[in-house]
Amino acid sequence: MNTEETLAAAAKILSDPPRPAEITRPTPTWMNALLASPDDLLPMAGALLDEHLGWLSCVTGLDPGIEAGYLEVLYHFSAGAAVITLRVRRPREIPAVPTLSDMIPIAEVFERELHEMFGVEIIGLRNINKLYLPEDWPDGVYPLRKDFDPAVLNVSG
Amino acid sequence: METSEKKELFTIPIGPQHPALKEPGSFRFTVDGEIVTSAEVRLGYAHRGIEKGAEGRSWVQSLYLLERVCGICSHVHATAFSLGVEQLAGVTAPPRAQAIRELVAELERVHSHMLWLGVAAHEAGFDTLFMYSWRDRETIMDILEGLTGNRVNYSANLLGGVKCDVGDPQRDTILKGIDMLEERTRHYLDVVTNDAVFLQRTHGVGTMTADQAELLGTVGPTARASGLGKDVRVDAPYAAYADFPVKIVTAEAGDLEARFQVRLRELFESYRLIREILDHLPPGELTARMPRRIKPAEAVSRVEAPRGELFYFLKSNGTDMPERVNVRTPTICNMTSVVKMVVGHQLADVPMILVGIDPCFSCNDRMVVVERKQHEAQGWTWEQLRRYGIDYYRQIHS
Repeated sequence: MNTEETLAAAAKILSDPPRPAEITRPTPTWMNALLASPDDLLPMAGALLDEHLGWLSCVTGLDPGIEAGYLEVLYHFSAGAAVITLRVRRPREIPAVPTLSDMIPIAEVFERELHEMFGVEIIGLRNINKLYLPEDWPDGVYPLRKDFDPAVLNVSG
Repeated sequence: METSEKKELFTIPIGPQHPALKEPGSFRFTVDGEIVTSAEVRLGYAHRGIEKGAEGRSWVQSLYLLERVCGICSHVHATAFSLGVEQLAGVTAPPRAQAIRELVAELERVHSHMLWLGVAAHEAGFDTLFMYSWRDRETIMDILEGLTGNRVNYSANLLGGVKCDVGDPQRDTILKGIDMLEERTRHYLDVVTNDAVFLQRTHGVGTMTADQAELLGTVGPTARASGLGKDVRVDAPYAAYADFPVKIVTAEAGDLEARFQVRLRELFESYRLIREILDHLPPGELTARMPRRIKPAEAVSRVEAPRGELFYFLKSNGTDMPERVNVRTPTICNMTSVVKMVVGHQLADVPMILVGIDPCFSCNDRMVVVERKQHEAQGWTWEQLRRYGIDYYRQIHS
């Protein structure tokens, strides 16, 4: 399957009713699909895997700023030259997404990183221990959010 | 009188200051006698907040910062970042610059695989092979220094091109060095394929099938040794890989032996590419003009690091600083496979299985503590665990 066929097949899955995702193509090899609801994440990711339309390459957290009022989680699936990115937007106050780790074991490390860096709650993830940050890192402080203030860490010097 | 046998599981923490990872990592292995029954990993002891750091620096400063994510494969980080930023700005680096990027990337792959071969041989107790391969690796380090001015963190990349050119004197030095290394690599491939003692440590150890490798999301030579044809250089050619294509190297067995063979056979592909690039280096400029501020956009950039796919996500916001830089290194993808692979294996095989994915090494011996239920604690260094592995195999085969 070439890149165009892969992306066309993925677009077909992602624009399936009842809640079609909003699809954009920033580059010829990259497709973005903004999911209408986080409930679509598991079925749509599962459908991509079933059709061999990619493997989970990376999960990116994105904070567009306090004014935007939401956090965004990007799930990048690579298939050959094609990258299919599922995007989920969650309210900044209570950001929560379902875990993909039952379906994709590697998702666990990405989701633990997302949890500690952005404070996104991962529903259903068994191991929520810190992966990168120190054990004594203060609760509720998420360093990759735009409103992170290093002063709360009381680092001297 | 009654006697009974009670089974006790021991937990063996290794790390956190662990030499088998570029970021020192901590492992907890639970063992039942000799057999590992579960494993867990904790990372982040060298987490430097580079992603956050990049958000407060200009695009140019971030290039230098990101090149320092890894001291072994620094060039691929700078290449992935440069290609991503060029994509955001709508700039394409000139063909000569792209070819030089590929040339340095392949030289770096040779240095990285040679370094790995030495470290892996050392873990198996083959220190002679370790010393030979590191001696030979110096040839590549000298070539890289002659080409870019630096042994590590070469800084060959600029946003929009490269800063070093390849002239005739450098060309001759590279070709001479490559000829020597090709002959040496042939010898090393013979050793890891035919040496009966070496095969005892690698043959049938840490086997991973293609399905497992795919499910666990492995990348690079670790995936290719299990028969997965995954290589960004082939799947999504970047820089000059479309003009100077690489042939994918895979093996079917999926064990440590296959991982040794895949990495060494890849070296021949790198030598071939290096010669081809030097023979057909496109003429022209080395840089294209880059804007200082970059309009709001997003980009994904993937390159094949010596250890597998390196993934960058970049977002610009119209200023001269990145809005977001997300780096996913190949080792994190392969680490999950170690945690799964070691289960069911001898404790003595742990160092070799870990080294089989080629995690980045720092050079210190660190503490391993063997905890016992009776609150006895015995301190083990990584060196002792390595020694234990070597002695274990020496005894069962004597």
